[in-house]
Amino acid sequence: MTATDVTAVVVRLKLSLLRNGLRQSGGRRAAYVVSAVVVLLFGALQLLGLAALRGHAHAEAVVVLLTAVLALGWAVMPLFFPGGDETLDPTRLVMLPLRPRPLVRALLAASLVGIGPLFTLLLLTGSVITVARGGAAYAVGVVAVVLALLVCVALARAVAAANIRLLTSRKGRDLAVLSGLVIAIGAQLVNFGAQRLGSSGLKQLAPAGDVVKWVPPASAIGAVDSVSSGSYGVAALQLALSAAALAALIAVWARHLTRLMTSPDGSTLQVSAEPAARGRAGSGLSRLLPAGRTGTVMERSLRYVWRDPKTKAAWVTSLAIGLIVPVFNALQGTGSVYFACFAAGMLGIQMYNQFGQDTSAFWMVALTISSGRDAYVELRGRALALLVITLPYATFVTVVTTAMLGDWPRLPEVLGLSFALLGAMLATGAWTSARFPYSIPQEGYKNVAPGQTGLAWISIFGGMVSAALLSAPVIAAAIWANVAQGGDSWGWLLLPFGAAYGAAITWAGLRLAAPRTAARLPEILTAVSKG
Amino acid sequence: MTSAAVRVQGLWKRFGQQIAVAGIDLELPAGKFIGLVGPNGAGKTTTLSMVTGLLRPDQGTVEVVGHDVWRDPVAVKARIGVLPEGLRLFERLSGRELLVYSGRLRGLPGAEVDKRATQLLDVLDLAGAQHKLVVDYSTGMRKKIGLAAALLHNPEVLFLDEPFEGVDPVSAQTIRGVLERYTASGATVVFSSHVMELVESLCDWVAVMAAGRIRAQGTLAEVRGEAPSLQKAFLELVGAGGRDTGSDLDWLGGGAR
Repeated sequence: MTATDVTAVVVRLKLSLLRNGLRQSGGRRAAYVVSAVVVLLFGALQLLGLAALRGHAHAEAVVVLLTAVLALGWAVMPLFFPGGDETLDPTRLVMLPLRPRPLVRALLAASLVGIGPLFTLLLLTGSVITVARGGAAYAVGVVAVVLALLVCVALARAVAAANIRLLTSRKGRDLAVLSGLVIAIGAQLVNFGAQRLGSSGLKQLAPAGDVVKWVPPASAIGAVDSVSSGSYGVAALQLALSAAALAALIAVWARHLTRLMTSPDGSTLQVSAEPAARGRAGSGLSRLLPAGRTGTVMERSLRYVWRDPKTKAAWVTSLAIGLIVPVFNALQGTGSVYFACFAAGMLGIQMYNQFGQDTSAFWMVALTISSGRDAYVELRGRALALLVITLPYATFVTVVTTAMLGDWPRLPEVLGLSFALLGAMLATGAWTSARFPYSIPQEGYKNVAPGQTGLAWISIFGGMVSAALLSAPVIAAAIWANVAQGGDSWGWLLLPFGAAYGAAITWAGLRLAAPRTAARLPEILTAVSKG
Repeated sequence: MTSAAVRVQGLWKRFGQQIAVAGIDLELPAGKFIGLVGPNGAGKTTTLSMVTGLLRPDQGTVEVVGHDVWRDPVAVKARIGVLPEGLRLFERLSGRELLVYSGRLRGLPGAEVDKRATQLLDVLDLAGAQHKLVVDYSTGMRKKIGLAAALLHNPEVLFLDEPFEGVDPVSAQTIRGVLERYTASGATVVFSSHVMELVESLCDWVAVMAAGRIRAQGTLAEVRGEAPSLQKAFLELVGAGGRDTGSDLDWLGGGAR
């Protein structure tokens, strides 16, 4: 087959995949049509908006930044939708006798088919119209649009190929679960920045634009502006930068592709033996923990917080949100010390669905529980492991929030409330773990197995409402201390009261949950073994 | 020899419309190497899960060394070791950590757990990988670490679901050696398999299962009867003896195209 044949075949393959995907179901077709219309409308509006910006002093900064953001979008896309495009997955073509060079050309051409590239084309065209003045500038503009589009597509391809290689090793997959989290938290920060920018106008963009106009593929659009203002040398340099970037990306991609198609799947390779130092660290941890089942269970739970990507992601989320909500609110001046209880609530969620976190490995636990006493010690060990992290963290968040607001007299009261809430969460968590267990799929981003969503909702929301109700005595006491005359001087009593109440209710919850756990071992195992 | 290691009476399990186990009776003698054989989907895993207390039967009783599995779990769980099929291990622990975890959960003292774990890792040829996470183990290594965890507390009866499935010949030989030594000391091994040659060479007692029922049980010689091999006897029992591959695939083989 000649090179052009391959390109034609792959482009046709992409088109038929698109068509067959739509033929599968009416809903899918409707979704595609709607998203296409929305994207095109949005693109057309952007085009009009950009054209309206023509002649604006900061137009250049806007378009180069827009192009840069567009390229960033292309780079991030394949991380979120690795299976979104079947022709994007070169491992499917491994068995065919293809050489890398024609294949790269063919895949590049195929990636230009679709809504995404069309949308990009619209925006890039709009950008050129915004900054181009004179025939020469438009001529350069045509080159710039093609170049920028190709850079975007090649970028996505290179990232996707690298990503597939990453995803075929276990460590890479572990990392991928966390990378979603990092991107989500990063998005929050970007959002924060964008809000700041929204209040101070386009002028803010100019310095950033001065830098970005040298970064491919934005430099290609920058070149159009340079030609418009007569700086042909600068324009040539900017175009050359984009062209060089395109060549480099294609080279990187081709290398990944060749290695992907010629080397075995990374998951079957032997992982080199890790140093024995890890065993030593483990024995250090176990020396600090109590003996017997309690210490054994705590040690395993704590190891899993660090080593299991799903558990780690859940913990990082809880820790981050538990800190961000009270502290950001305090920063913006809308805060209250009572928001600090959020940390206790968020972290208490980790007690929920304890056995689901074990996955089907729960059989190892089930085989060693033969009485309510065993189940009690098991649950208590897990609660203690949680407290090792939660108790200091909730205290820390409360102290930090109080310090930021300077509301020191309320500290003991809020701490007492936090501890009571934490106790109530542990109690309801233990009980729902026994009563409403559900599976957590180990692959992908989902946290509930299909068909068990209702169960998860009952478990988490029912549990949280019950936890709030269970903390009612302490909440009532706190309200009384604030409302009643002279109640303020009794506020400090809420610390011992809340702590004692939290401990008592945790104990009661574990006591209630233990016999249920012991009696329902096979049912729990069945519930947590799906997915 | 006369006492039964496992006694099953009228055991039933349905999953919706599907009857997985249809009222089986079994009496497995103690101190033997026992094979539970049958084609895929015969109900072997369901039966073993119910016998070991991991799945609740709809009906019927199970006794292991004289104790009822559901009424007296304390006595039973301390006396059995299990290697299930299709269930995970705590894979984010290293091999050694998994053994220590499992041993301590069963209440063995720390020093004893360490000693036994070291010996098991040695014998099963896992000493070099003991600090590697189980998630990075191969299939054979997983079966071996699962076997070690099942043996650590020195159970009287060992239940193994497809212990040789997907295991390379070298690991299989190692597992075999350990199991033979273990039964020689008077303990009982019950294992399921669909590989007849393996069962024939390992077991002295066989129960044949198909479509949720026990088709035959007894010593290897009794079950084999007149047939030249267990494979033939098995095919007769499950009614798949006379099937021929036929001449439809006459183009297959004998040069390209």
